[in-house]
Order: sequence, then structure tokens, then C-alpha cells
Amino acid sequence: MRNLNVEDVFSSRLRMKILKMLNQVGELNVSEIARRLGVNYKTTSGHLKVLEDEGILQLKVFGRIRLYRLNERSAKTKAVQNLIEIWEKTDK
Amino acid sequence: MPPFQSVFKDETKLDINYVPYKLPHRDKELRLLMEFFSFELQTPDRMAQRVLITGDVGTGKTALSQRFGTDIVREATNRAVNLRYIHVNCREYRGNLFMILQHAVSVFYPNFPKRGYSAEELLGTLSKVLDDENVHLILALDEFDSLIEMEGSEAVYKLTRVQETRQDKPQRLSLICILRNLDAIASLDLSTRSTLQSNVISLQKYDKHQLIDILNDRILLAFKPTAVPEETINLIAELAFSENGNARFGIELLWRAGKYANAHDQNSVAPECVREAVSSIIPSMRKSDLATLGFHEKLFLLATARLFKQTQKASISLAEAEQAYTITCEETETKPISHTQLWKYVKTLSALGIIKTEVSSTGTRGRSTLIYLPRIPAQELEKELTALLEKQDT
Repeated sequence: MRNLNVEDVFSSRLRMKILKMLNQVGELNVSEIARRLGVNYKTTSGHLKVLEDEGILQLKVFGRIRLYRLNERSAKTKAVQNLIEIWEKTDK
Repeated sequence: MPPFQSVFKDETKLDINYVPYKLPHRDKELRLLMEFFSFELQTPDRMAQRVLITGDVGTGKTALSQRFGTDIVREATNRAVNLRYIHVNCREYRGNLFMILQHAVSVFYPNFPKRGYSAEELLGTLSKVLDDENVHLILALDEFDSLIEMEGSEAVYKLTRVQETRQDKPQRLSLICILRNLDAIASLDLSTRSTLQSNVISLQKYDKHQLIDILNDRILLAFKPTAVPEETINLIAELAFSENGNARFGIELLWRAGKYANAHDQNSVAPECVREAVSSIIPSMRKSDLATLGFHEKLFLLATARLFKQTQKASISLAEAEQAYTITCEETETKPISHTQLWKYVKTLSALGIIKTEVSSTGTRGRSTLIYLPRIPAQELEKELTALLEKQDT
């Protein structure tokens, strides 16, 4: 685990989009996340790795399929979920 | 406009997907199924089971399996056993093993990708999912015939022998295979057949009395009190019995007849509503059949139709029909034919499927023949015959 600063983790627009997406749909595989973001597999994998290393995401591997979901046991994840939910509620 | 009054209390109880709490005349089979899977409640890790359920259309195979699934999962939850029951209709997935397994995995991971791996990998995935979640699964494969037809022995073999590749791990996957008869199994290779055929629950077709019990149960749930008279229940049971003891057909007919009663603004479901319902399901009356009938056959049938229309009964006796026929003969100033000849006509009309006959021994004086008009609304039949007879006159 790298333990990046908070500004390093959240400075990426794509990483925030990934977090919003997974908060909304539960879990997704890498290709599907890449497709929804409209970027390539490699870029997506890189961002997912950062979030996984921070303990915010959890990876499950089924053969060739790699599924990511929010790591419900992490305090950081709970903070992220709170942030997204409050942000979206206030927006409405 | 008067307020709309429905004969239904809750028509969802007649839906094809509704599984009743009680399955009349299937208690024995339900207990047997529970017996086959009792290990799931006691030592779930140590074994897996494979059971075949066979029976014709409408004999309650799906309902039995689903009722069992709900009951055993509830019991397992009470005993803190993590057991799931998944029901898949193989035909809905075109008998494709990959798609069937995909459905099972998606119950645990709804966004699991739909492409990019083989059915074999997916079977491995399902095992891993069950291990990860510490779940035991009973996978019910309805319309199993279509899986055999599409994939053959190989797929069934893989499904039944999944545990062999995971030695020393808990057993997690049990199967219920639902199919009409064992003919489809015969096309499998010997080793696959031997793993499947040890536990077979064969459902016999329902008789008329059993169908009446089933209909009565549903009527209690779905209709307002006294909305469905006994005559109507008897007629539906008779029809469902003649459709190979098909309870599903009977329940659908009951629902449809209720709809016709509502449409005619009636507060009860008369036998005539059932006839309308049947003629809407099956294109039963071919006008050419009526046109080919002889003059007296038409007269007799017209008299019968009128009697059904007047009395709103499900069946009439041959004597009553003969009496009505005599009156119709008087109207047309025709000499009635003899009883013996009339009896022959009754047989012809029955063979054509226009009427149905049954010998009843419930009367006080021996046996009498009962005539049913199962498929054609009496009103419609009367109209057709009157037109044909007028044409014949001119």
C-alpha cells in the first residue's frame, strides 16, 4: 500500500468517475469500467490500481475476469461514499 | 355508468408465476424432495445431490420445485445454513450452458461480464463464488430437455461432475433437473446417465377430482366469495382433464372466464364464460364442421345449444337434450328421429369435438349420459346453426 496524500488520490477526474460509478452500480470488471469511461484498458487499470492500493477498492479475480468494487470495510471508502452522496443530494 | 364490480379479489393468484403456499395432491412428492435434500440442513459440506422431476405439462413440476426451494431455504436460514435456490428455465436461455451459468453467477454478481470466457471457466467461477460466499446452491434446471438437446452429454457431464475437480473442498452445487419424461435422458452417454438417474420423482397427471381441489384452492385466493359456482368449477376441471390433466390450463381458463364475467358485468362466472374463454384460447369451432352436419344433427345441436343458453348449466342429460330436440322439431314442423338414431348423432358430434359426453351414475335411476358443451359458447353455436338451417330452407 502506497498511502498517497488525499490531494493525489482525488486530483484525478477519472478516479472520481470510477468511484461514483462503483458507488452506483456495485461491482464491474476492468473492460466495462474502461468502456463506460471512454478510455483504454491500460489507463483504467492504472487508476484502479491506485484506488486498490489505497484500500478504497477491493479486487476479486475469477480466472481472467477482474471485478472491482468499493471496499466496504475501509473507513476511507465510507468517507468517499459520504462525500458522493452528500454532494449529489445537495446538487438536487 | 354503474361502478365497476369485479369477480376477482386478487387475480395475481392466478398468474402463471404464482407459487401457492399449499400444493394440493403433491404433499408426498414434496416430502420426498425434502428427504433427498435433508443433508443440506445437517451436513451441507459433505454431499451434493441430483434429482430429476418428470411429468407432463401442467402436472406441477415447476411449482413443486419452487415451493420446495422456498421452504428449504427458509428452513436453512433458521438453522444458520447459507443455502440458496436458483430456478433457471433452460429454454429461456436457448439451452445454452454458458447463458444458464451466467444467470446463476449474476445472482451473486449482477454485473458479471457477459463475454470473454468459456462455459467451463464460468463453471469454475460459479464454484469460486460459492466458496467465497460460503454458500450451498440448489440449481433447478427447468426444461432440462432443451439443455440436453443443445449441448448434449458433455455439458450435463460437466455440471454433474463439478466436484471431482475440487477434491477435499466442500460440496456446494446440487441439481434439480425438471423435464417432461426420461426420453431426453436416453440420448446422454452412459456415464452421464448413471449420475443423473438415481433419484427420479415422477408426477402423474391430475384426475378430475384433484383438479377440482386445485381450482377450489385458487378460487379461494383469487375470487370473491360465491363468484365461481360449482357448475363452472366442474366444467373447467373437465376441460383441464381432457387437456391431459393440465392444471395450468385449468387455472388460465379460470382467469380468462373471470375476465369474460367482468366484461359482461356479471357478478359470477357462469359456464358460458368458460366456453367463451375456451373458444378464445383454442380456435375450436370450425364452421365447415357445422356445415357438413345433417339436418337432424343440426336440429339436435341447436336444441342443445338453446338449453345450455337457458339453463346456464355445465352439463345436461341426454334425456333433457332429447326433449329440447322434440320441441325444436315441432317448431320446424319436422318429425323427430328415433332415440337410437339420435344416440348415433350424439356420438358423431362428440367425435367431432363439438360436444363431450360422459356417463354418469350419480342419478337415482341407474346410469345416464351427460352432454357437455366444452369449447363453444352456446350463444355463438345457436347463431351459427340458425343461419345454416335458414340457408338450408331457402
